[in-house]
Amino acid sequence: MKRSPLYESHLRLGAKVVPFGGWQMPLFYRLGTVGEHLACRSAAVAFDVSHLGTVHIEGPGSYDVLQRSLTNDLSRINPGRAQYTHLLSDEGWVVDDLIVWWISKDSFDVMPNASNTSRVIQALGGQERTQERALIAIQGPKARALLGSISKVAAGVGRFAVGEFEWEGYHCRVAGTGYTGEDGVECSVPTGCALDFWDALRDAGIEPAGLGARDTLRLEAGLPLHGHELGEGITPLQVGLEWVVAFEKGEFIGRTSLEREAKQGVDRKLYGLVSATRQPLREKAKVLAVREGKGARDPGDLIGVVTSGNYSPMLERGIALAFLDASAHVEIGDRVMVEVRGRGVPATIVDTPFWSHEGARR
Amino acid sequence: MIVPEYLRYSSDHEWVRLEGKRATIGITDYAQDSLGDVVYVELPAVGERVSPGGSLGEVESTKSVSEVYSPVSGTVVVVNDTLNDFPQNLNSEPYGTGWICEIEVDDVSEVDELLDAASYRLLTES
Repeated sequence: MKRSPLYESHLRLGAKVVPFGGWQMPLFYRLGTVGEHLACRSAAVAFDVSHLGTVHIEGPGSYDVLQRSLTNDLSRINPGRAQYTHLLSDEGWVVDDLIVWWISKDSFDVMPNASNTSRVIQALGGQERTQERALIAIQGPKARALLGSISKVAAGVGRFAVGEFEWEGYHCRVAGTGYTGEDGVECSVPTGCALDFWDALRDAGIEPAGLGARDTLRLEAGLPLHGHELGEGITPLQVGLEWVVAFEKGEFIGRTSLEREAKQGVDRKLYGLVSATRQPLREKAKVLAVREGKGARDPGDLIGVVTSGNYSPMLERGIALAFLDASAHVEIGDRVMVEVRGRGVPATIVDTPFWSHEGARR
Repeated sequence: MIVPEYLRYSSDHEWVRLEGKRATIGITDYAQDSLGDVVYVELPAVGERVSPGGSLGEVESTKSVSEVYSPVSGTVVVVNDTLNDFPQNLNSEPYGTGWICEIEVDDVSEVDELLDAASYRLLTES
């Protein structure tokens, strides 16, 4: 089991540490998952996400390798910018969703999900640098203001920009990215100064948050997670991520299959569900049609399955992402029944994100 | 972990406080701590007949769901429906405002057979 450079600090801070993707990572600290979630929505928190991979790709031809492997179009951005993109299989299935940090002309850092790092290296080449750094996400409406007292440069990096900053003589990288639906940055700091940097964040008033809150935050923001909404058998088109697929740029892995699917239309689509009560909706729960629905099915018919579900601290309702069959012809606002441990929980189909600073969906 | 001396405990991490024939039931500090933040409680129904090991509803946290088991035989007479709006009381006061229900017990000697505080503490430390 791998450990983050911040592992000792997590224990000192009273974190509940659990296995996650081959790593021992903090699930929550003393505030608890809901407290950490709310702190991120109203102020700022710091997550240790060192379990995510860093794969460094450099040299002439790097751009071409990424451009003909990944779905998004690097020509839409420039060096000094980050891009969300997918690596597909020939079938068009999502092998991994990742962020590319374009550092300089022929130098890239690719950030895969923990368990997919080796598959990404297999497809793209490059050199794994995961063990050389800690990756720390600082997220929330006050993230930049509080981080500013530690590093003005890190706090000032633009949205989806990539920058560099010095910390105690160490060379660090930062990107204006995150996975919470909040403003914020992600800092890659060498292991030599990682603990000091992590402690400085707390001194600056940024509370630590665990992977429990990271999951409820991303779910509330309607963001897909590999292994749930993305993975084998799932294409970017089914989860509504057409914007990640740049057909116009030319060849990329999985393109032929995706074009076929785009022409035929997807046979299922990802939707948001909000429960009528606080009861969390749960992964693998069946979604059933009800009489009020406009669907072409009969009440009680199976029309889909929940891919991620939990409790939304902002809505104070159960929420879920679910694949619903195209043949059910559902619309936003339709009611469905979600079968949670044998009992029907009434829910409504909504647009995502479930919650943003502009308002909530019910 | 708090284990009050004046309560009785089941090995499934419920606590019992007996007054006359009425038993108040809740889950222990150890149970709430291992669950994490409780966000939903499925309460039993008033009038429901229960027996030891039978279901007394469910407690659900952001990370998992856990069945509540009845430590005694009897009839559910009161449920703590403030938990519908404040399930977090199970975390903050598991032995106080986080109580789950009251059961009119059939046989008070069943309560004597439950664990005392010292035995329960041993169970959670093993």
